[in-house]
Amino acid sequence: MAEVKLVHVAKAYENGPRVIRNATITVQDREFLVLVGPSGCGKSTLLRMIAGLEDITDGDLLIDGKRMNDVPPKDRDIAMVFQNYALYPHMTVYENMAFGLKLAGLPKDDIRQRVSRAAQLLEIDALLDRKPKDMSGGQRQRVAIGRAIVRNPKVFLFDEPLSNLDAKLRVQTRIELQKLHRELNATIIYVTHDQVEAMTLGDRIVVLRDGDVVQQDTPINLYNQPATQFVAGFIGTPPMNFVPGRLSETGPLYFTSTGGQVQIDLSNSQPAARLQAHRGKPVTFGIRAEHLSEQPPAAQSVHEQALAVEAVENMGNETLVYCPIDTGQLIARLPAGYVASFGQPIRLFWNLDKAHFFDAQTGQAI
Amino acid sequence: MKLLRYALLLLAALSFIYPFVWMISASLSSEQGIGSLTLLPVGLTISNYTTVFERIPLGRAFLNSLFVALVTTGLVLVLGAMVGYALARLRFRGRDLIFYLIIFTMTLPFQITLIPNYITMVKLGWVDTYFALIVPFVMNSLAVLLFRQAFASLPQALIDAARIDGCGELRIIFQILLPNIVPTVLTITILTFMGLWNEALWPLIVIRDESTMTMPQMVTLFSVGGRADAQLGVKIAAAVMLALPILVVYLFFQKHFIRSMASSGLKD
Repeated sequence: MAEVKLVHVAKAYENGPRVIRNATITVQDREFLVLVGPSGCGKSTLLRMIAGLEDITDGDLLIDGKRMNDVPPKDRDIAMVFQNYALYPHMTVYENMAFGLKLAGLPKDDIRQRVSRAAQLLEIDALLDRKPKDMSGGQRQRVAIGRAIVRNPKVFLFDEPLSNLDAKLRVQTRIELQKLHRELNATIIYVTHDQVEAMTLGDRIVVLRDGDVVQQDTPINLYNQPATQFVAGFIGTPPMNFVPGRLSETGPLYFTSTGGQVQIDLSNSQPAARLQAHRGKPVTFGIRAEHLSEQPPAAQSVHEQALAVEAVENMGNETLVYCPIDTGQLIARLPAGYVASFGQPIRLFWNLDKAHFFDAQTGQAI
Repeated sequence: MKLLRYALLLLAALSFIYPFVWMISASLSSEQGIGSLTLLPVGLTISNYTTVFERIPLGRAFLNSLFVALVTTGLVLVLGAMVGYALARLRFRGRDLIFYLIIFTMTLPFQITLIPNYITMVKLGWVDTYFALIVPFVMNSLAVLLFRQAFASLPQALIDAARIDGCGELRIIFQILLPNIVPTVLTITILTFMGLWNEALWPLIVIRDESTMTMPQMVTLFSVGGRADAQLGVKIAAAVMLALPILVVYLFFQKHFIRSMASSGLKD
C-alpha cells in the first residue's frame, strides 16, 4: 500500500483563477482520508489531479515517494469510484470489472479469479451477466467499487460515491465502506460534501474552502477544536451557534452581542486568558447546541439566560429547541423528553468551558 | 371522423407508394403495356432485366458502387468520430473556430467545389480510379456535427473511467463511446451510404472507364446515352436495379434504428 503526498499543489485552468491555491496534504499508508467542503471548494478537482485526470499546475504529487505529476492515470496504480458510477453501459458487470485488467494484459484465469473474488466480497456474484441498466443504484455502486477493487491498486479514490443513493442505502453503504477499508487495508482518499460522511468514515479529514486547505485533523479534533469559524460551522449537525459581538475594552472581561441582548461574563471562563489580546475588538462567539442545556452543567463557568422558544424539533432521541436572539437564532440540543411551551421563555445554561471565539475579521479561532 | 382521418392517410400513403409500385410493375411489363397506369404488370416478362444485363456490365457497376459506398461510409464513420470527439471532448486552441469552419462548409453546395475538386483529381492523377470516387467524400461535415453532438452528450466520467482503465484516445472513441451512440452511428451510416449510392454527377465527371463506373452513373449513361434504344421498360428496369439495394439496406437498418433508439441511452 502507499503514502500519498501533495506538496504545495496548485491548479489553474487556462487564463482562469487558481481553483486550488496551495494544498499540502500527506495521506499516510492505509489511511482513510476525507476531503470535505462545500460545492466549488476544489475537492473533486484535487482528487482528479491525484488520479491524473487533471494536470497539476504547480507543486508535486508523490505516491510512495515517486513523483507522479506527468505519469498517465493508468500507470499511477490508483483506482477511482465515480459519483455517477461511470460503468460502461454496453458491457456486462463482468466485462466492466475485467476491462482494465484485460487492457493491462493480465491472463484470463487471473482476471476471472480477481473478478469473482471481488464479486463475492461485494455480494454481486449473481449480477455478473447483467448490464448496468438492469441494476439498481446500490448495485451499480457496488459494481463500481468492484471495478476498483479488482485492480488491487495502491490508492483508492472515491468521488462522492454515495450522493446518488437514497438516505437509507447511503447509511448502509457507509458502514460497508468502513468494513471494506478494514478488509482491503488500503489507502483511501474520499471526497464528499456531506460532513456526516466525512465524520463517520475518515481517519482524518481535510476541510477545503475556495481552493485552500482550511484545516486537516481527526474528526473529533475538527469538531472540538475548529481552526476557523468556517470549519466550526461546517462540521457538526446542527451547526455551531454563532453570536457576533465585541469584547469589553476595559474592566471585567465581557462579551456583548451586536444588539446587546447577550452579555456574557467571561472573567472566570477558560478562554479568558487568550481573549485578553482581543479586548475591544469584534469577535464571534460560538457554542455547540449540546453545550446549551436546561440543567446547569458541571463546568468552571456557566452563563445563564432566558430566551423565547421559536420552534421545537422532536427527533425521538433528542429535542432541538430554536430560540431567536438579536443576531439570529440559537439551537439547543435538549433531552428527548423535554416539552417546550411556545412563547414561554426557556432558561438555558451555556457551558462557557466549551465555548469558541473567532476573530470577526479573519474568522480564525482565538 | 376517424374514418376520414384514415382515408386521408391512406390516400397520402398511396400517393407515395404508387410510383414505386408502378415502377416495378412497368419494369416487368412488355414495352406495349408500359403506357397503362396499372398496379400489375401488363404482359408479364423479365426481358427488360435480361436486356439491361446484356447491354451494360451492371454486375460490375453494382460491385463498384458497393465497394465505394462501403469504404467511404467506413471512413466517414472513423474520421467523423475522431474529429467529432476532438471537437467535443479535447481542449485545444482554435477548437471552436475549426468547428464553425466545418459547419460553414455545410452551407456550400457541392456544385461550387465541383471544378476545384475535379482539377485536384486531375493533378493527383486520380481520374478513372477509385480514389476519385472515395477521397472527396471521406470528410463529411454532417457526420462530424452529429458525432460532436452525440459525444458531448455522454458523461465525462465515462471517459475518465476509461482513461484510468488504461484506454488511449482511440480506444475511448471506438470501444467505449461509439457503442453508446449507436443511433447516431446508424443515422450517419444510412445518410452517408444513401448519399453515396445515389451520387451520379461526380462519377460522371471523374470516371470514363466503364470498369470503374458506379451503378447510378452506369444507369444514367445507359438511360440518356442511347444504349437503351429508347426502350422505356429497359430504362425502368435499370432504375429498379439501382433502387433495390438501397431499399433493402434501408429497411434492414430501419429495424435496427428503431430498436437502438428504444433500448439505448445512458441510465447512469
